[in-house]
Amino acid sequence: MDILEKVIEIVAAACDVEKSEVSENSMVGDFPAWDSMGHLSILSGVEEAFDISFEPEEMMEMEDVKDIVAAVGAKLAQ
Amino acid sequence: MTIEEQIRQNSIRRPHHIALITPGEQVTYAQLWERCLLAATQVRQKYGLQKGDRIILAASAHANFIYTYFGIHLAGGICVPIDPDTNETRFNLILQSTKPVCTMGILHKVTGTKTVPLCEVSAPCDSVDPYEQASPEQIADILFTTGTTGAPKGVALNHRNLAAAALNINTFIQNTEEDVELLALPVSHSFGLGRMRCVLSKGGSLVLLGSFASMKKFYGQMEQYHCTGFGMVPAGWSYIKKMSGRKIGQYAHQLRYIEIGSSFMSIEDKELLCELLPGTRICMHYGLTEASRSAFMEFHAQHNQLNSAGKASPNVQVRIFDEAGKELPFGTEGEVCVKGEHVTCGYWNEDTVKFAKDFYNGYFRTGDSGYLDEEGYIHLKSRIKEMINVGGKKVSPMEVEDMLNAIPGIEESACVAMPDPEGVMGELVKAFIVCKDENLTDAAIIEALKPNLEVYKLPAVIERIDRIPKTASGKVQRLTLK
Repeated sequence: MDILEKVIEIVAAACDVEKSEVSENSMVGDFPAWDSMGHLSILSGVEEAFDISFEPEEMMEMEDVKDIVAAVGAKLAQ
Repeated sequence: MTIEEQIRQNSIRRPHHIALITPGEQVTYAQLWERCLLAATQVRQKYGLQKGDRIILAASAHANFIYTYFGIHLAGGICVPIDPDTNETRFNLILQSTKPVCTMGILHKVTGTKTVPLCEVSAPCDSVDPYEQASPEQIADILFTTGTTGAPKGVALNHRNLAAAALNINTFIQNTEEDVELLALPVSHSFGLGRMRCVLSKGGSLVLLGSFASMKKFYGQMEQYHCTGFGMVPAGWSYIKKMSGRKIGQYAHQLRYIEIGSSFMSIEDKELLCELLPGTRICMHYGLTEASRSAFMEFHAQHNQLNSAGKASPNVQVRIFDEAGKELPFGTEGEVCVKGEHVTCGYWNEDTVKFAKDFYNGYFRTGDSGYLDEEGYIHLKSRIKEMINVGGKKVSPMEVEDMLNAIPGIEESACVAMPDPEGVMGELVKAFIVCKDENLTDAAIIEALKPNLEVYKLPAVIERIDRIPKTASGKVQRLTLK
């Protein structure tokens, strides 16, 4: 499973929506459950799924699926 | 003087001063007042609202919500602000209880109910009804709390209650008309609505952010509008800290105040805020929907009392009573009770005889247990009510239990608060279940709960036990499960 697919799966589960409703451009605030609590749950889900951990300054930059995928990619490449 | 009258006076005194800053527009006090009057006219003429009628309002931090909220008050109506994410079961209970003339705003989880878009309420009309100040005794809002029985309970607040609370808060925080507040709190709850009323009654400016979710926007707007204050719950601070580390310290020079909501906040977090914001009034309140901000403490000035819930707010008295309604001396634990004009005028649809039982000698019973020290600081010991506080949102254990008990295979259940292991939400829901069906998985239980409960109410942990501890009279002893 590639990074995008996994991130979409995590976002869909956290926001209680179908995977088909989530795209690369989906961002914080797009679904009622993607509020601050939902955002944290997504980021912790991503950290757990890829066994990585983000610094606060990295987290602040992640506001949509594209940002998250790019940040995961960068972490995994380190 | 009602909040609306104060806004009217602000619109005369400083008509060109900015009241609201929204993504697309800056609204002056003159415009705000005009649009509130327009909304009042529309709700009367178009939707048939008469004095004392209710309107359910899905509350979101948009300018149209603010015009409609004050417009309903100006028309003599009663606002019932609710969370746009309110589930169908809760919505139907509120609907039955309040019998509104209509529901306005967008509801995400309710189907089959026609709602009025808020943009229609402040649409121009031919003539505007004349302004009439509401009586202080007239009910202004009904806020539905998460009752201990699981059924929502409507807290009625009249115009006197709202004006008194705003005065007490503004006096303690020392707000001025030059303040620019970043409003990121939900306005469907007492705290966010209260901040909105405080700023607009004082004549300050409100930047409508709506949520803390985007930290980029939060800091972007803080910088762009040179915000001088904001409100947050402790979970909001955990979020800001996790997402941006110590960055808030870069705004220490401009932040005059922060108001913090009442739920647990660690001493380390309080100390960190003091260190990052050495010149900011960091004001933490203690209160409940029925008696908004009954006590306050300021982290710098009362630094040696960071463990306490603060002292009675201006114009408020706090006393401790025992179960027999006898006032207790300093240092003795009992029920924290408060008195002041901010205390609710009653519960919606509840008779006055029953409501009178919520008072000891004129003091409203908060349901919290604690003591007063000799300096008047309140020290809370435990919540008599068993609410679970998930990131500032209250969850009734009984609401979750009712839904769990309806799942085939679950005999009975009890829910309690558990600390969030990541320390962000404060508390999470933990469910204990007595389960007959060995094949019923945790995942299946959560799936079954999802259609009926908001995400934050879903149990984070489910533990299977042989029996639920109960008192001789059959009452679930949740505290023994904690």
